[in-house]
Amino acid sequence: MIVAENVCKSFGKLQVLKDVSLTVKKGEVVVIIGPSGSGKSTFLRCLNYLETIDSGYITVDGHPVGKKKLPDGRLVNDSKKNIYRLRSQIGMVFQRFNLFPHLTALENVIEGPVTVYKIPREEAKERGTELLSKVGLADKADSYPSQLSGGQQQRVAIARALAMQPKAMLFDEPTSALDPELVGEVLAVIKDLAREGMTMVVVTHEMGFAREVADRVVFMDEGRILEEDSPQVIFSNPKHPRTREFLSKIL
Amino acid sequence: MQVGPIDVDFLLTILPILLKKGALLTLELTVEAIIFGTIIGLFIALFKISSIKILNLIGGFYTWVIRGIPLLVQLYILYFGFAYIGIQFSPKTAAVLGLSICGGAYIAEIIRAGIQSIDKGQMEAALSLGMSYTQAMRRVILPQAYRRLLPPMGNEFIALMKDTSLVSIISMTELLRQGIILNSTYFRAMEIYLTVGVIYLFMTTLFIYLINRLEKRLAIYDSN
Repeated sequence: MIVAENVCKSFGKLQVLKDVSLTVKKGEVVVIIGPSGSGKSTFLRCLNYLETIDSGYITVDGHPVGKKKLPDGRLVNDSKKNIYRLRSQIGMVFQRFNLFPHLTALENVIEGPVTVYKIPREEAKERGTELLSKVGLADKADSYPSQLSGGQQQRVAIARALAMQPKAMLFDEPTSALDPELVGEVLAVIKDLAREGMTMVVVTHEMGFAREVADRVVFMDEGRILEEDSPQVIFSNPKHPRTREFLSKIL
Repeated sequence: MQVGPIDVDFLLTILPILLKKGALLTLELTVEAIIFGTIIGLFIALFKISSIKILNLIGGFYTWVIRGIPLLVQLYILYFGFAYIGIQFSPKTAAVLGLSICGGAYIAEIIRAGIQSIDKGQMEAALSLGMSYTQAMRRVILPQAYRRLLPPMGNEFIALMKDTSLVSIISMTELLRQGIILNSTYFRAMEIYLTVGVIYLFMTTLFIYLINRLEKRLAIYDSN
């Protein structure tokens, strides 16, 4: 579903991604862990072209991200239209929710389908209401983001991403901005999605969640993937000394 | 009837003339300058934040030149300068053009600041849904910027209204020029210009009131 090969990316002189390669199969849940500044979030943002990459190659469902292959095999920048279509097929959930504050919860959820897919408002509302029920917020449809708790806002944000019927979901530290007692409700929604077979890449510091939900855990440090394995192996018997050091500090 | 230096009967004679043949035109000029100025301002603001270099340059050049030359001089150039090279604008056209071009430069700066004050995550969230840059601007960024823009825009609109008095020098008959015309008949400068001033004050107050009401109506959500 998602294939990244030798992805490199620099911000000015700072190289944040160094030859990162990762394959995510359909229905798989991959959790990326690692210290702050290790390039986890940047890598995630490259997957839906919110960041451009300097070199390497990313495909989602067979389509190169932001690039197009010419008949002679060369890669050129893809049309904007294709980039927009790609993004609509990958849901993204942000650390700071990024709900649209001028719209109600339901309006947030239907904004994508109505604007991008041109789905009639009434039809989108029906489906949007279903999605809000799915994340347990049917009664908050008419509330504005400022009237919701952080956990509720993040659940609306998940519903908003799901409204585009994405093939895969990317979560960028979805619980890092939440009060501890609100983390559980958001993780529960993500776990449900995992059970339903959604393909997901999750950047998180929640190790318990990673252990429970991940099919594979990836450890990143200083722009490199140092280790990837099943959660059992990563959490009980990590091979790389850096992984061991990181986990000993955090667990 | 005489109140201090002011002859009330005389006031009642000139007031209808000032209102009908002056204030109305001032209002009309103001509204037109606001509409065209806002359109110009929006485009220049989008030019200035665009990632396309040439648009940046155009936007920067526009605000630099227009804000750096006094409006009065701009009006002279538009009306007398262009007439000299064979392009004769009517006083009304020159007035609306001059006020809109000038207002546009200031409004552009206000809109640019408003757009840039919106959290970057809003654009990213909109793009991540598959929206185009234009859709994201129209559906997500501008509606939020709009409310933040109102107070500074209100100030600019009031400034524009007062600036309309400058077009009296290109023989556009608005409120001030109507006063000048009356004075050349009656030679009663204090009563006439004081009345003109009070009418301006009344109109700017009305504007402030309308903008405040709009602000309250838009305050239904708290922006984060």
